[in-house]
Amino acid sequence: MKPARILVLLCPVALALSGGVPLLKRILADTKPAVQLTVANAQPREVEDITENAIRRDYTAAWQGLSAALANNTLQPLNDNFSGFALDKFTQRVKDQKQLGLSTRMIDRGHKVDAIFYSPDGSAVELNDTATIETQVLDGGKVIHSDKAQIHYYAVMTGAEDRWKVRVLESAAE
Amino acid sequence: MRKLIYILLSVAVCWFAADCARAAELHVPQNAVAGQPMTIRAEGSGTLYLIGPGQVIKREFKSGSVEIKGEELRSAGRWIAAAGGQSQVFWVRAGKPEKLSFLARPSRVPVARQNVISGVAFLFDKNQNLVLEPTPVNFKLSVGGTAISKSVTSRSGVAWTRSNSATKAGAAQFVASAENTSVNRVVQQVAADPCERNLRMRVAGRSADKITVATDPILDCSGNPVPDGTIVTFIQVDKSGKSTVDARIKKGSARADLPASDNATITVAAGVVLGNELHIGGK
Repeated sequence: MKPARILVLLCPVALALSGGVPLLKRILADTKPAVQLTVANAQPREVEDITENAIRRDYTAAWQGLSAALANNTLQPLNDNFSGFALDKFTQRVKDQKQLGLSTRMIDRGHKVDAIFYSPDGSAVELNDTATIETQVLDGGKVIHSDKAQIHYYAVMTGAEDRWKVRVLESAAE
Repeated sequence: MRKLIYILLSVAVCWFAADCARAAELHVPQNAVAGQPMTIRAEGSGTLYLIGPGQVIKREFKSGSVEIKGEELRSAGRWIAAAGGQSQVFWVRAGKPEKLSFLARPSRVPVARQNVISGVAFLFDKNQNLVLEPTPVNFKLSVGGTAISKSVTSRSGVAWTRSNSATKAGAAQFVASAENTSVNRVVQQVAADPCERNLRMRVAGRSADKITVATDPILDCSGNPVPDGTIVTFIQVDKSGKSTVDARIKKGSARADLPASDNATITVAAGVVLGNELHIGGK
């Protein structure tokens, strides 16, 4: 085989590798989002240290679960981390996506979270989250939407059997 | 000839590009409300995807308007409209409050305590979206004809209040209301600990081998009868030692049979409250 032919053959392979490897890395990487939580503004009750740590851990897990559920159209990550209205809504979203052959890839660039309400009996907490998220919506393998945005979320978490679960997660325009 | 082909090809490419551009033109409303119909204007034809927080809507369209019914547009939040290789982000607000998630704590509380009852109300529209617009929420706690009412404006979808318990025991109705919706919870207000001045006992009977002591009706400091079943402890101390009887309040008072003694001191207590002391016999 002539060197020129080999070169021509190698070019697309190199091109595919250069695009595919970072993509594969991204998919396989631990996509645990970075969550910075502040509890100083929580009212009417002060958030205990142990509760703060648990909320940070479980809110992080919820976003990780949401991302996995929307990317793979699976419900288990939702059941593990969400309850109530949030679980109903995201379950419906996953079902709709699955039915229409869509999926959503979310690249989570981090959350700045402020606890704004902690109920007097310690059973519910409301969070105000400014999240930076890259979103790609895919129809089969084709990207039909792509954006990177700072999105404002309100989340209500309530204590469940062994963890805090997200009961409400709603985005709002600034 | 070659020039003509070139011109025709250029025209075809331009036409195709223009057609593509037209297909991508989407006009989405900026003030959509969950539960209300919405119209999207779309040029060209193709498939329109509306991807919301809790649902996805797919519509085939030809040039003109795409109508989305109120019952279809359920989720508030950030939506994406995608068609013909183009996409746009738009926002949907929650509707009016039509559901309250009301947490009233505790379910049972002693009377006459400061800031002991808490009420937390989360506001939702009919599609379970958190209503973020500030909304007045009225909290009303009523028992036995007296009521305490307080209006609180919600912030970020939540309103909360604290209240004292009333001085009268009974089932208090705790109502949270916003717009045309209200939710009722019952907070059982029970008598507090017995009042020291109301815990009085007397000798109710005596025989050769026992002394019967009984209390007067046991009341808390607000005059509410302490519930039946509450433990009252009678202690008798004499030369042979100490006898203790735990008796439950029955029909408002407690009684106990203690060993007969010619010289004994009997005390009565309920929880941390001490009543009077009786001296039997002696010189």
